[in-house]
Amino acid sequence: MKQYLKIASVLFCICAVAAGLLAGINAITAPQIAANALKETSAALMDISGGFDLGEKREGNGAGINYSITLVEGKEIKGYVLEITSNGYGGPITLVASYDTDGAVIGAKMMANSETPGLGKKSEESWYMAQFEGLGGAKPLPSSKNDLADPSLVSGATVTFTGVSGAIRQGSEYVKGLGGK
Amino acid sequence: MSHTKELTKGIFRENPVFIIMLGMCPTLGVTTQVFNAIGMGAGVIFVLLCSNILISLLRKVIPDSIRIPAYIVIIASFVTIVEMVMHAYVPAVYSALGVYLPLIVVNCIILGRAEAFANKNTVLDSALDAIGMGIGFTLSLCLIAAIREILGAGQITLINLSESARVIITLPGLSSSPIRVMTLAAGALLVMGYLKAFFNWMGDRKAGRA
Repeated sequence: MKQYLKIASVLFCICAVAAGLLAGINAITAPQIAANALKETSAALMDISGGFDLGEKREGNGAGINYSITLVEGKEIKGYVLEITSNGYGGPITLVASYDTDGAVIGAKMMANSETPGLGKKSEESWYMAQFEGLGGAKPLPSSKNDLADPSLVSGATVTFTGVSGAIRQGSEYVKGLGGK
Repeated sequence: MSHTKELTKGIFRENPVFIIMLGMCPTLGVTTQVFNAIGMGAGVIFVLLCSNILISLLRKVIPDSIRIPAYIVIIASFVTIVEMVMHAYVPAVYSALGVYLPLIVVNCIILGRAEAFANKNTVLDSALDAIGMGIGFTLSLCLIAAIREILGAGQITLINLSESARVIITLPGLSSSPIRVMTLAAGALLVMGYLKAFFNWMGDRKAGRA
């Protein structure tokens, strides 16, 4: 009995020290991590706003679209920025995309994701999202990688591409449904 | 065994990847780019060094029957610390390593060295062992990553922190028509197999001469 108590108390001490240490470091790093995320999001939103001002923020549809922000010029709504969550290869992916009122993509940017470095991670680069720009309005968005000019650019990461293109298509439909309001 | 030997054994004679065959999962997973290999190696060196030192210090305190849970708690704590600090102060490296950073916890090299070395040896020897093993692991990863990236993408990515901060050496010819399979999972296994065969051949040759 005494033996077990001793073993348990040693393990308890190790766990307690570890938990205390982690709590301390979390308290130091958490505000910095939150600030980084905020800075990254606002920089991304400015990047893809297409030169318009950011207007009011609205709630999304609860099924992939997290929120929308209107893009305004004066009082007139020129488009929308959406934050969309979809599924990639390594779990959920979050991206922001901006659209004209007719659903054509102005710009898009990959945000939080756990895609494979060297494969799906390529979706963070600007050329990846540039493949969608201008599409979704008069010209359709690609529904599979075979609709791309060069499918080999995304080969090896088809699941990521399906997730990204699905999210962007969903956003385009959502914007069309808003009808410019 | 001398102290220098503790340091250098991890690089060739007891190389963790090619000889002891530990930590195969991250080895095959992250070696798509040289930069990932360097990042993963740095993380492993740090965690391995900290855990080896601490486990060596506590080797008389931790009862034998609970050593594995105790080691795992210590290792997981260090990994979580690395993860939080990287996330806060070097987010580019954090996002580049992605899921492989938390996976250091289950990297067999770290638990393996704790079990096979740190709990039987002095703090100094354990630290040297950790540095040697860590460097051996990093070099092995870089070797595999370099072969895979050169053949599979025709380039070598040395630094890839953001789109403005990157150093990529592009090789003419190969980059326009790379052997794409090398960057995929099958390519990792192919390269690993050939390198293991090469190391076995080297080992046999050495044994034959001795």
